[in-house]
Amino acid sequence: MNRRGLSLRYKILFLLTAIPAVALAAYLVLAMRVFESDKIAYVFDATSNMSGTLASQIKTQLNSVLIGAKPLFQDYLSNTNEQGRRSFSARGEELFQEDSQIDAIVVYRRESNGEIQTRAALEKTPGLYLEALGSSQATLAQEINEAIRSGRSIRSLGKDDRVLITERVGSDSRMAIFAIITRLSETAEMFRTSISQRLYLIDQTGTVIFAPREFQDANLKVAVPLSFLKDPSKKFVQGAETITDDKGEVLLASYSKVGFGDLVVVSTVAREKALSAVGILLRKSLIFFVILLCSVVIVSLLASGRLTNALSSLFVATKKVSEGDFNVHVDVKSQDEVGALADNFNLMAAEVSRLLDQTAEKARMESELQTAKTVQETLFPESHSHLGGLEISGFYEPASECGGDWWHYCQVGDQTFLWIGDATGHGAPAALITSAAKSASAIIENMQVGPAAALALLNKSICAVSKGRLMMTFFIASFDQKTKVLTYANASHEAPFLMKPSAGPLKKKSLLPLNEVGGPRLGQDRETVYEEAKVQLEPGDMVFFYTDGIPDIRSPENEEWGERQFVKAMIEAHQDFPTAESSVARFVETFQAFRQGSQLVDDVTFFVVKNQDSEAGS
Amino acid sequence: MGKLEIKTEKNGDKLNLTLVGTIDEDIDFNQHSLSGVKEIDLHLSGVKSINSCGIREWIKWMGGSSAEVLRWHDCPKPIVDQINMVDGFLPSTGKVLSFFVPYYNDDAGSEKSVLFRYGTEFTDSEVKPPETVKDEDGNEMEMDVIESKYFKFIKK
Repeated sequence: MNRRGLSLRYKILFLLTAIPAVALAAYLVLAMRVFESDKIAYVFDATSNMSGTLASQIKTQLNSVLIGAKPLFQDYLSNTNEQGRRSFSARGEELFQEDSQIDAIVVYRRESNGEIQTRAALEKTPGLYLEALGSSQATLAQEINEAIRSGRSIRSLGKDDRVLITERVGSDSRMAIFAIITRLSETAEMFRTSISQRLYLIDQTGTVIFAPREFQDANLKVAVPLSFLKDPSKKFVQGAETITDDKGEVLLASYSKVGFGDLVVVSTVAREKALSAVGILLRKSLIFFVILLCSVVIVSLLASGRLTNALSSLFVATKKVSEGDFNVHVDVKSQDEVGALADNFNLMAAEVSRLLDQTAEKARMESELQTAKTVQETLFPESHSHLGGLEISGFYEPASECGGDWWHYCQVGDQTFLWIGDATGHGAPAALITSAAKSASAIIENMQVGPAAALALLNKSICAVSKGRLMMTFFIASFDQKTKVLTYANASHEAPFLMKPSAGPLKKKSLLPLNEVGGPRLGQDRETVYEEAKVQLEPGDMVFFYTDGIPDIRSPENEEWGERQFVKAMIEAHQDFPTAESSVARFVETFQAFRQGSQLVDDVTFFVVKNQDSEAGS
Repeated sequence: MGKLEIKTEKNGDKLNLTLVGTIDEDIDFNQHSLSGVKEIDLHLSGVKSINSCGIREWIKWMGGSSAEVLRWHDCPKPIVDQINMVDGFLPSTGKVLSFFVPYYNDDAGSEKSVLFRYGTEFTDSEVKPPETVKDEDGNEMEMDVIESKYFKFIKK
């Protein structure tokens, strides 16, 4: 098939798949964004809750340690040893041994010279304190100073789950600094082993107290640059933010103040991990969309196949039509517009086929009519002749291929017979009657009868042929070469006009219609008897024979020539009694000028005879 | 509606027919039978034209009349031409009581149809045209027919 560009089927397929694909993609992007925002909000909410809960738990635990330590504080502050210095009493030592949360408690005092002096110490195991401090002994003074400044400090001892709480009690000369080593085993384990999120317990400088096991930094500030670590003056109780860590990983971080010293619980979740559900949803959605698109493609292929198959059938059919084969039928079952189109195409093809047959039939008929016209032309005599003392000149033009007018002349002895007739209507039926008239005349003219008898015989012939359905008006005249008498008989035909030079200049009133006798039309009554009339022709006399089609001639504007113009043209054509040939030429010229090639309404036939005696006499 | 309208008024044995339009091969006179009436008055001023097929139908229609009196009124030129030319167009019982004669003035281009009435402008043997016929502007008009042909039926 000679197609151009992409097939209609693929265009439909593309449309049917592209539209849902684009819509689904847009929906997916939008839904993912909404889901992602919602998920992040959820993660922030969950981690904030987690950090808040953990902060409360740590605060409770540390407060519990301090509550347990307070009797020891009081014991130390109220008891004096033998040297008059403050010390733990036996009761205090007993209380210490009973307290399961405190591993060691050491009392420091800042002397007047600013030096920090150890005043008392209680240890569950001797040497435990120093062993626990380990490398932290170097920074112990900072812790004590921090406790003196802010009242309390806490830090990890680094090795295990023990922490050092430094608490200031009293002020000025009575001020004592208690350093307590306690274990936060469960809490520390929670920070180290958290799975879904990373938990950090830090102070406000970022110093790590507890952190996930894999985290080795001492300070969180570099690894997780939270805003409050960058700006220590920032006041907050709880917060959340999205940050990028030192490895470039985006983290969702939330934090809560513990409310014990400057401790802060930080919770971080890798954004990618937090949004892993979004990825899963995206993958599942894509799988669903692919399945959906495949379904759409399959359905589209089936649907477009039905549509394009019907159109392809139409295409093939139209191609056959373009090649001239109109005997095609498109079989489309669908009830939609394509079905209607196919039905209309079938109707159109059938109609075109019928019209082609009709055209062929018309062409055949026109050919036959052309043949009939050729045959009919043989029925007419030479348009110009000299016969029996008469000059005869005529004109004939049918309104269609064949005409119903007929004229004729012949000589029988001394008689020159002049025939003119007009069948009912015009065209082929009328032409057939004229043919019958011609055939009859060929016989009649050898019977040596006068015009009236000739009309009667012709009437019988026409009656036999037409059986009353077609008729003819007819006028027959015979001119006697010796006597110059014109004898005529008329069967309801237009009366010819006799024009006599002897009557002076030709005028309307000098036109003499040959209407002395008349009878019914040929074919009307088989037994009709016609009468004859005679008129003596003088030298130069002219007679104008015609049919009624002449006044009916129309101009291009459909204006009728009419009897007045006809008579006027006839007078002008014969004004100087020229030759019959000249008068015919003049008359034809006049009406053709009026007509300007317009279609004739009726056949136009006329002929002029002139008595040539004048020329002969001269 | 056909090309010819025929208005019929029957009053006892009298029939009044008024014809308006064109008489051609499409006419069907069978719907207007002329039998069974004694007097017929035909009013023909509305007839515009008649062709050869119409003449055939007309003669058959008129032939079916059994009327003793058949009066033709206001015959226009196409009817008068056929009366003059076609034998039998006017039945033997028919009588023309009035007919139109066309007049014209070639210089002024005016045209007019003058009604000739039996007993006034014509009798059974002669025609007495008005001495002068003038158009609306007072121009004298001449008869637009060949008298020897147009008035032929009067002397039949």
